Amino acid sequence: MFVSTYRVFKFAFENFWRNVWLSLMTISMLVLTLLTVNILLVINRAADQAIKFVENRIEVSVYFQNNADPKKITTAVEYLRSLAQVRDVEEISAEEALAKFRMRHENDPAIISSLEELGGNPFGPTLIIKAKQASDFETIIGALDNPQFRDVIRNKDFSNYQPIVEKIRHTTNNVRMAGLILSFVFFLIALLIIFNTVRIAIFIHREEISIMRLVGASNWFIRAPYLLETVLLSLLAVLIAIAIVYPALLFVEPYYKQYFEMGLADYFEQNGIWIFGAQFLGLLFVTMLSTGLAMRKFLKV
Amino acid sequence: MYLSKLSSPGIIESDLGVYKFIHLSFYMIHLKHVSKIYPPNIVGLDGISLHVKPGEFISIVGQSGTGKSTLAKMLFAEEKPSHGTIEIGGWDITKISDKEIPLLRRQIGVVFQDFKLLQKKTVYENIAFALQVAGMAPSRIREIVPRVLKIVNLDDKHHRYPHQLSGGEQQRVAIGRALVHQPKILVADEPTGNLDALNSRDILELLKKINEFGTTVALVTHDREMVNRLKRRVITLQDGKIVSDVEEGRYKL
Repeated sequence: MFVSTYRVFKFAFENFWRNVWLSLMTISMLVLTLLTVNILLVINRAADQAIKFVENRIEVSVYFQNNADPKKITTAVEYLRSLAQVRDVEEISAEEALAKFRMRHENDPAIISSLEELGGNPFGPTLIIKAKQASDFETIIGALDNPQFRDVIRNKDFSNYQPIVEKIRHTTNNVRMAGLILSFVFFLIALLIIFNTVRIAIFIHREEISIMRLVGASNWFIRAPYLLETVLLSLLAVLIAIAIVYPALLFVEPYYKQYFEMGLADYFEQNGIWIFGAQFLGLLFVTMLSTGLAMRKFLKV
Repeated sequence: MYLSKLSSPGIIESDLGVYKFIHLSFYMIHLKHVSKIYPPNIVGLDGISLHVKPGEFISIVGQSGTGKSTLAKMLFAEEKPSHGTIEIGGWDITKISDKEIPLLRRQIGVVFQDFKLLQKKTVYENIAFALQVAGMAPSRIREIVPRVLKIVNLDDKHHRYPHQLSGGEQQRVAIGRALVHQPKILVADEPTGNLDALNSRDILELLKKINEFGTTVALVTHDREMVNRLKRRVITLQDGKIVSDVEEGRYKL
């Protein structure tokens, strides 16, 4: 049977070269669908990073009373830092808060003069809390109601944060959802395109297939070269797609970094094997399934 | 030897697995009351009974649409009878399974009006293909195919592709492919339909030569000259029935 295996490989290569235009056309269709998938991946990744970017900038500030018990403040900080939802807690002492305030409003004489009139430091210690996700703020704000240090918190009303954070959370979720749905739709389109492309290719071979049957070839002897050719086409398509996507990413990288301060190409570099490996396997699965179905449909092989 | 394997009867185990063979039985082709009905009520063949001994050369003639091609197709299981039974070399192929059809066809040679060559393979490769489907070793193929090319007079064109050949040459390739595995039966379905008179003669001579080597030949045709020149058994079909079966026949319609 080794002879037959050898022949199957030989026929697959012959098929590829002797119908080179058909092969190239098929490959180009596969490459186009792969490019679509990759562009979607990039867009999804960018959207994800954009959302993180926004979420990173949300902070909740907690103002303590100026004569607050330092021990209670420390307790509060430790407690908050221990929460899973909290990314970071920044402490600003009363003096620092005052200095910052002066700096921010140095051009506003009215405010500076009001400070002088008050005398002393109206500010107490401040905490700046950063959450991991927009949806975590609710929990954090609820945590601030802890009896251990609740009474030293100056502003207890966080209700004006709620709607804003809610809105951000709502929007980011919608963007994520839209991204997923869009990706899914394009993915389906890609599947259909591949399916039809392969069917056309097999259709073009239908006379050949029927002749092979008449001469006494078994089903597998007929099928196998086409399936192997499909593997070859898929492999080439993925390689070409990589050859296009990777340089494109590198080109876009500097512009991208300006906006997002995060890299795009390195994500692909690190996970490249998974990303393109998965695409290869997925493509292989779809093309081979299409080949098998098309052969069965056209010639009961 | 390859030839002796074909001669032994029954079911044999070869390196290609358990194999059903056509063997030299009393009748090479045996049809018993074979009918082919296309639903709802179109009759292709109507109660055909026919037997052909090994080594015979029969011509099946009749007007277009009388079922000649249908009958020919049944011989290599491209069509199955609606009623009746058909045996090829002792092998009842009336209800042959899809898996076994390739095995049958590897032991029968078929030639068609439209040549049915693989366009993307050379002359040599087309003929070799008939041996490759049976898993023959490359060394054996390299021995056999050149001999066949000589028989059909195409050894100088073995590297050409079908579209680079004339009609007559293409049909010779088809005949080469049909006889390369030394079949017991050769079925020729209108082999000269697309050829001119000169080429038709050449093809006929080839078929006669093949018959002389012991192959049973079933020729389906409406070429009167050819049939009259052959002076062999002529079976005439009309409306799906056999209306005449004469040993040294002439084309009479």
